[in-house]
Amino acid sequence: MKYIKKVLGEDLRQYTMVVALVALIIIFNIASGGKMITSSNFQNLISGNAYVLVLALGMLMVIVIGQIDLSVGSVAGFSSMVMAIAARQFNLPWYIAILIALAVGVVAGAWQGFFLSRLGIPGFITTLGGMMIFRGGVIWISRSISVPAPPELKWFGAGYLPEWGPAFTGMNNSTLLLGLVAIVVYASIQMRKFNHSGDVTGKKEEFWPFAVRIGIVTAVIGYATWLFGSGRPGTSFPIPGLILVLLIILYYLITERTSFGRHVYAVGGNKSAAELSGVNVKRTYFLTMLNMSVLAAVAGILFVGRSTAAGPADGTSWEMDAIASVFIGGASVSGGVGTVIATMIGGLVMAVLNNGLMLMGVGADKTQVIKGFVLLAAVAFDVYNKKNRG
Amino acid sequence: MKAKKALSLLMTAALATAMLTGCGGGRGTEETTQQTAADTSAAAEKKDTEDAKPEETAEAPSAGSGIVGVALPWLGTQNWAEAEVMFKEQLEAAGYEPIIQAADQKVPQQQQQIESMIENGAEVIVVGPVDGSQLGSVLEKAKDAGVYVIGYDRLLENTTGVDGVVQFGSVKTGELQAQALLQGLEELKGEAPYNIELFGGGPADPNAPNFFTGAMSVLQPLIDDGTLVVVSGQTDFTQCATADWDNSKAQSRMDAILAGNYSDIEIDGVLSPNDGIARAIITSCENAGQPIPVVSGLDAENESVEWVWSGRQYSTVAKPTNALVAETVSIIDSLLSGNGMPATDVKANNGVIDVPIYELPPVVVTKDNAKEVFADDPDRMALLKD
Amino acid sequence: MSDGHILQMKNITKTFPGVKALSDVTLEVSEASIHAICGENGAGKSTLMKVLSGVYPYGSYDGEIFFQGEKMTFKNIKDSERAGIVIIHQELTMIPELSVTENIFMGNEVVEKGLINWEEERKRTRELLKEVGLHIDPNTIIKNLGVGQQQLVEIAKALSKNVKLLILDEPTSSLNESDSENLLRLMLGLKKQGITCIMISHKLNEIAAVSDYVTVIRDGKTVDGYAVEAGKVDENKIIKAMVGREIENRYPEHTPKIGEVVLEVSDWSVEDAKVPGKMLCKDSAFYVRAGEIVGFAGLMGAGRTELMRSLFGKNMGIFRGGTLKIGGREVRINSVRAAIKNKIAYVPEDRKGLGLNLLDTIRKTVVSANLDGIKTKGLLDFDKERAASERYRDSLKIKCRDVGVGVNTLSGGNQQKVVLSKWLFTEPDILILDEPTRGIDVGAKYEIYKLIHELADQGKAIILVSSELPELLGMADRIYTIFEGRITGEISAKEANQEMLMKKMTITA
Repeated sequence: MKYIKKVLGEDLRQYTMVVALVALIIIFNIASGGKMITSSNFQNLISGNAYVLVLALGMLMVIVIGQIDLSVGSVAGFSSMVMAIAARQFNLPWYIAILIALAVGVVAGAWQGFFLSRLGIPGFITTLGGMMIFRGGVIWISRSISVPAPPELKWFGAGYLPEWGPAFTGMNNSTLLLGLVAIVVYASIQMRKFNHSGDVTGKKEEFWPFAVRIGIVTAVIGYATWLFGSGRPGTSFPIPGLILVLLIILYYLITERTSFGRHVYAVGGNKSAAELSGVNVKRTYFLTMLNMSVLAAVAGILFVGRSTAAGPADGTSWEMDAIASVFIGGASVSGGVGTVIATMIGGLVMAVLNNGLMLMGVGADKTQVIKGFVLLAAVAFDVYNKKNRG
Repeated sequence: MKAKKALSLLMTAALATAMLTGCGGGRGTEETTQQTAADTSAAAEKKDTEDAKPEETAEAPSAGSGIVGVALPWLGTQNWAEAEVMFKEQLEAAGYEPIIQAADQKVPQQQQQIESMIENGAEVIVVGPVDGSQLGSVLEKAKDAGVYVIGYDRLLENTTGVDGVVQFGSVKTGELQAQALLQGLEELKGEAPYNIELFGGGPADPNAPNFFTGAMSVLQPLIDDGTLVVVSGQTDFTQCATADWDNSKAQSRMDAILAGNYSDIEIDGVLSPNDGIARAIITSCENAGQPIPVVSGLDAENESVEWVWSGRQYSTVAKPTNALVAETVSIIDSLLSGNGMPATDVKANNGVIDVPIYELPPVVVTKDNAKEVFADDPDRMALLKD
Repeated sequence: MSDGHILQMKNITKTFPGVKALSDVTLEVSEASIHAICGENGAGKSTLMKVLSGVYPYGSYDGEIFFQGEKMTFKNIKDSERAGIVIIHQELTMIPELSVTENIFMGNEVVEKGLINWEEERKRTRELLKEVGLHIDPNTIIKNLGVGQQQLVEIAKALSKNVKLLILDEPTSSLNESDSENLLRLMLGLKKQGITCIMISHKLNEIAAVSDYVTVIRDGKTVDGYAVEAGKVDENKIIKAMVGREIENRYPEHTPKIGEVVLEVSDWSVEDAKVPGKMLCKDSAFYVRAGEIVGFAGLMGAGRTELMRSLFGKNMGIFRGGTLKIGGREVRINSVRAAIKNKIAYVPEDRKGLGLNLLDTIRKTVVSANLDGIKTKGLLDFDKERAASERYRDSLKIKCRDVGVGVNTLSGGNQQKVVLSKWLFTEPDILILDEPTRGIDVGAKYEIYKLIHELADQGKAIILVSSELPELLGMADRIYTIFEGRITGEISAKEANQEMLMKKMTITA
């Protein structure tokens, strides 16, 4: 136990969900006769859920700051519909259309941020209004008819990395390169940490936990690389997955390593104390809501890319999936608590559950029931843990 | 320090290499598949997709799995609920292994269900889409995996990944609904002009505008010459459409129209795109104290069959699910016995390619002919009691 | 069997995972007496009371409780309340949006035929309020009452439950002097009616004034207990028992090294944001010099906190004029951020509500007001963060296992040190300390006093706001008095005494 703690850190509880996730994958793989852990299924899993996970990134910050955003599905639907219409009816090039979608996200976010931060209307109400406004907007501008999206967008929602280089690797070389880069980056970060470990306390840490950590991560990334890279030729680690990974890194840095990120946690933990520590509370609220809507637009773009058309019902109830991911990831309803990585794990738990049950042929009805129970169980477990600690 | 760092990097690299080669070794048994698949994809580039398919299917390790996926939009109306049961019975009877899933009217859900069917090794996937234009990349994935895709009841748009669509002629259906409406008006509501209102189906369903177009091709000339009067003035599809085929939305719209336009006149007839909406319209008229108008319908749902029999709803159109399923299964038979898609003259452009269409004729049901139409359907016959 | 004891707790031992919170504690309380329990924060007083009131149910601790001669096995608070034991917590538990009547009968409504009998409830509320000496309308909404009045309502609520043993957990910690006196008088009145009170308190003068018996707890054990004659308590003896050592002087010796004027405020006026026309501060003017500790004396609501928060980036009320000079130069400070940039720091009176994010760790809290101070290439540097927090952990003697633990796990004194660290990390020249020792035990207070002296010696200008006049007299070099938003006097600490200050705090000059 002591050794495990040295490798994984003092707080082992944060790994509960990781364990649950791995267990789910293994159980489903057995139950479905090996259909879970295949290249194509993992590719599906990632590209089919990237949009929800992107939403969850923004939702995490919204929930940490002590608010909720119910409008994300509608904003995603609205911005992607504007994008499809811009491209189709006004013949704008696809990249301009994407920029327009993101701009719609910015405007929608600024709108909601304004009501929350300047007028002090609770996020629940502001975004409930936004949910109706933007949903109505989608139906209005689309006249309730799906609009095909520019074909280039498919690359964002369902594309793969290019094939190149030697064939002897037996896998997609882009994916291989990506995996190797990830391993090297992780290893060098750990080495840096090790080299600096004595700087503050004056006591150098042992080397072996770092080596073990590097070993484990190398194994995991290596396996994932092989899994994603060895699928049908022409497939690789999916583009939406790559976009997601880049966003995860970006938002990890924002939440953990920037003043803005700290301010979000500070406002969520104790608004008055944050204000008295020099945090511009209004600005923090505003930016958090703005960010959420921009991510909603990104999610909408990814989804439309996958669907090849923007539909009037796009985004319906997506907010609920995003919120569920955040809470399964251990965030607190009252704000101040939650991390990017845990949220992603929470989202993946939901995704794997959905995917695994589908592979087993379980209907949408029962799947919903099971997901509901899992959400309750995860949060109940979390609450129980916290109670026992205090 | 530097040495240690270099050492650890080296170790990492070694580990990675070891693992990757280790994995590569594990893939040895699949190497041939990999090779042939690579060939196929290379071939697919020059050949056109139609002929690439059988070849790929033949070589797929799952060849002859006999698995047929059926992706339905939901089970919330009788025809879809019936389709689920019938597909199961008929596919099993024909010796296939069906995987049937319904998507609760959610596009992402349906996308993932279709992917899971591909994962499960389905050879043919029958798709009753939630939104016919939003399955593009998923259906192309199916095509790439060598799976046949048949659209069921609704056109699959905006994708190359569709081999054919089985449906009732939707424009024809609309025409029949309109004709039944006219027939009813003449029969029950005396001399022209007649006050009518128009309802359309869910706009996300590509059939809905077609129904409406078909119906209007019959009604528009009569509206123009004054035989029919659309009192509310709402004759455009987007004005008349019912989002998501939601009965309650149709009922609210009817309530509003009656309250706004019919305070001192009577409504004679309503064009309704399906039975659920027809019943909602009739209920609305009854609540407003109007005499029951002549209302068309579609799907021959049990409740509406009873209503037609008792005279509350004038007509419905039966699109016998049984026949549609049977036609689909016969196409599957043809595909899996290696005979390809059966020939058909009808094609429809789905925005990307021309898709072969297999159309079945729908049947109008009124009180007069109900017993003949349902002669072979014991469940519905049981509803027709005197 | 009970020997005139209403309560006997025998050999109570309570362990939490890894910690023995109480070990073999015995407490005997005589009927119709006022029994004081004192001890440092974290000594186990609250745990003992939670055992008594059933928060920790029977079976989760070792030992026995006898109440009125019978053995008690409480499973929850309801059980203990039924027996006649009511606890009034430090944090009041009233529902602010409901009326006095509704709060008093909350969970205990007078119900007839399924409906609440409001007439009866109001009638009884009126009687109860009279008993506690509160002359207000039973329909008054709680949030419109002052803290002292709310406390009295809490006691009225306890009386409505036929209380026999009333436990008051630091009852006067948030009350001003007159409310405190009022409360103590009420306790003596209750005693006459035969109601027993247990009072947990830090304030030795209060204990001395009313209690019949004192029990001192330290480190989860009973260390001392003796009967006292009300009004004759040896304070030093109690302090010694509490901290386990002799504290000769409650305020450390200090010779000020006073320099130039650092902060100068003139004509400062602030209007209440909620009540138009009401002025929180009126034409306030004062100055603070480098190395000087300037005390601000005033009753609760006199405008001390309002003035300080207004200076600290217009954080409270609506600014209605005035100038602020730092080092002789006039500055306009319109946000907390700007105040911090101008080297002002404000340690708020409400530590948990305004000073800390209780979800954060020590290290995150220490740097939270100066994130720029730990940045490397624009990103937060955890090494620098750790270094900063370790530095203050050492220099302020913050007692913790690791700087990575949550601030919620710390005692009040250590929490206050963390808050001070947070502000010291902003490297302020002007340090405003609003009630820095509230709710902190004697030992920790002494350390904070020493720290304040050190900071003054470093040349910082220090403003000390306090409700405790002895603290001001012991610490400050110069004292301003505030009454109704006006500065009513300026006295050198050497010349000041309590009576003099009190007079200026209660009448306009």
